[in-house]
Amino acid sequence: MKFHRATRRVAAGALAVGALALAIPATAGAATKLPKVGYEKPPTASVSETGSTLLYPLFNIWAGGYNTVYPQVTITTAGTGSGTGITDASNGTVDIGASDAYLAPSAVQANPDLLNIPLAISAQMIAYNIPGVTAHVKLTGKLISEIYEGQITTWNNSAITAINPGVTLPAIPIVALHRSDSSGDTFLFTQFMSKTSSTWAASPGYNTTISWPSSPGALGEAGNSGMVSGCKATPGCIAYIGVSYLTSALQAGLGYAELQNQKGTYELPTATTIAAAAAGFVKTTPANGTISMIYGKAAGGYPIVNYEYGIVSTNQESSATATAIRSLLEWAVNLKDGNSSQYLSQVNFVPLPTKVVAQSVTQILKIK
Amino acid sequence: MTLVGGPAGQLPATPQAARRTGPVRRAAEAIRGHEETGWRVAARIAVLVPLAALVFAITVLAIKAYPAIKYNGFGFLTRRTWNAGGSSAYAQPVYTNGVEHPASVSYGAWALIVGTVQTSFIAVLLALPISIGAAFALTERLPRWIARPLGFAVELLAGIPSVIFGLWGILTLGPFLAKHVYPIVADHMPDVPVLRYFRQPVGSGEGLLTAGIVLALMIVPIITATTRDLFLQVPPLPKEGATALGMTDSEVARRVTLPWVRSGIIGATVLGLGRALGETIAVAMISGSIITIASNVYSPMTTIAATIVSQLDGAETDGTGFAVATLAEVALVLAVISVVVNITARIIITHTSRLGAPLGA
Repeated sequence: MKFHRATRRVAAGALAVGALALAIPATAGAATKLPKVGYEKPPTASVSETGSTLLYPLFNIWAGGYNTVYPQVTITTAGTGSGTGITDASNGTVDIGASDAYLAPSAVQANPDLLNIPLAISAQMIAYNIPGVTAHVKLTGKLISEIYEGQITTWNNSAITAINPGVTLPAIPIVALHRSDSSGDTFLFTQFMSKTSSTWAASPGYNTTISWPSSPGALGEAGNSGMVSGCKATPGCIAYIGVSYLTSALQAGLGYAELQNQKGTYELPTATTIAAAAAGFVKTTPANGTISMIYGKAAGGYPIVNYEYGIVSTNQESSATATAIRSLLEWAVNLKDGNSSQYLSQVNFVPLPTKVVAQSVTQILKIK
Repeated sequence: MTLVGGPAGQLPATPQAARRTGPVRRAAEAIRGHEETGWRVAARIAVLVPLAALVFAITVLAIKAYPAIKYNGFGFLTRRTWNAGGSSAYAQPVYTNGVEHPASVSYGAWALIVGTVQTSFIAVLLALPISIGAAFALTERLPRWIARPLGFAVELLAGIPSVIFGLWGILTLGPFLAKHVYPIVADHMPDVPVLRYFRQPVGSGEGLLTAGIVLALMIVPIITATTRDLFLQVPPLPKEGATALGMTDSEVARRVTLPWVRSGIIGATVLGLGRALGETIAVAMISGSIITIASNVYSPMTTIAATIVSQLDGAETDGTGFAVATLAEVALVLAVISVVVNITARIIITHTSRLGAPLGA
């Protein structure tokens, strides 16, 4: 409930600036002018999307919402992992690849036509299944890295209990889950580890797949839904899961942690804390959208937030498909439509800041 | 039994053809001749297709893998690390001996090779007695009206797609074993060599033993069906003779039927082993997907095939192409393992069929 109220507050602000956002593309995108409504009218076409399981639930809601406006575009979606999203968009087997991670420089060099377009702001929760514990456990990046490195092995370890007075943690082993597929969630999580632990930064570092340190009973799971069901089945587990799976995680009986940010306060992933963290990066977000927003300096910000990216090639085979992709993405980033709380609050995402919306539209208009 | 047939290659003459004379007969023979030539050519082309496909696949794999072979070196086979470069994939790639790769990559296939061999070994170990027992029951013990539908069921099992086995393994079998079977086994195992690996912790049900059990179920039908057909070929006379000499059913089975088909059973086992070595999706689902050597029989691990399928998409995001090259290299390793297993089996078959020619054959 707390979440929804907070979302509405932010959404109200977003709506107020929505009109402003509509005006920007007309000046920014000199070549193509958007219609007043904010998105182009597509021809009959089909658009396929695959990739990030974190973005997948939102893309499904978007597809339904967009089709109420333009039913002539057939949209197929699939949650296959960010790695697949990047790969398939790069190969041209899919029109829109969804990714929680921006493209690596080598991937851009290999395929200079690829754009990573910010579509929304997401976050990642650290979930756990500790029998008998309903409170939000406080954790720091350093502690989590020591859990995944196999140095902290039980929930009642003094390092954890010291920052959780009043919470009785049982003496059961911690089972660290990680993603076995190539995942943007792994990218976000390991960036958080790298920024909070110097030993982690040295090795294994961050990537969409990494060489995991050995910790007792560690398990690999495929997809965010695999993390939820795997954690449900494994008492004592800890798992990093995208906030779009918060509802299913709660249904599965999992709890989620308050994470320490750079200012030293412990925050839950709510619309307020996610928006606060992202706001700290608005100025520095470059035109191509490539930026890490992990462990920012903003006060009251949640430490693991990110842009969700649409990976699209500027060079489409047919102009009909290109127009349909542009139209869909323009609609999706529009603060009155796809980026309104009507859609985003269902998956606990927050809208893009207006400056980033304008930058995304400029990128979208390059799709030809 | 006498063989019936004329000299090879000669078309049998019909009375009608013999009576035909002149141009009609010559035309008819010409057509038949062309038919024959066409047939022979088609057959020769057809026999080349599988060979060409094999050569093509191996060659392409080797070409794709070449940069990885060059950089990874022989240490690839013995290293345990599987590091795609971590953060260095987001920095500028570097060149070593002309091979472009993310700076801190370090790939080694040892854990995958061990995992592949371990799961397949467990699968064959479990499947072989079950298959031979089932084949015996189907051919020797059960009445026909029940043996036939049962045999059909075994063959149906062979046709079930592996993803269904995987799904069942992860949703039903794994959790069941981890909750009700593994703890009992683990708590009663003594701390002695070999059996030590069956002690706690039992984990979540995703791991080496569960993968081996599911693989065993997948190869049971292959071995059973082949073994059953072999048993049916054992002539009844030696068996009846042995019974007449006072042998019990089990003695007949052990001393007459089994030796008669020994090399065939080895062949059937290799067929099953081949499937177990290369099985991908079911193992990817139930192995726990951790690139490490299992610390006990319940621990999560992975195999070569499962790693290729779960890593390919991520590998393709490596713009230097080095990750894909490494997957091609590890695929070559799997191909070599399969070939070695098959050749070994052939050597064993030739050897045993010479020695094991049973009872007057």
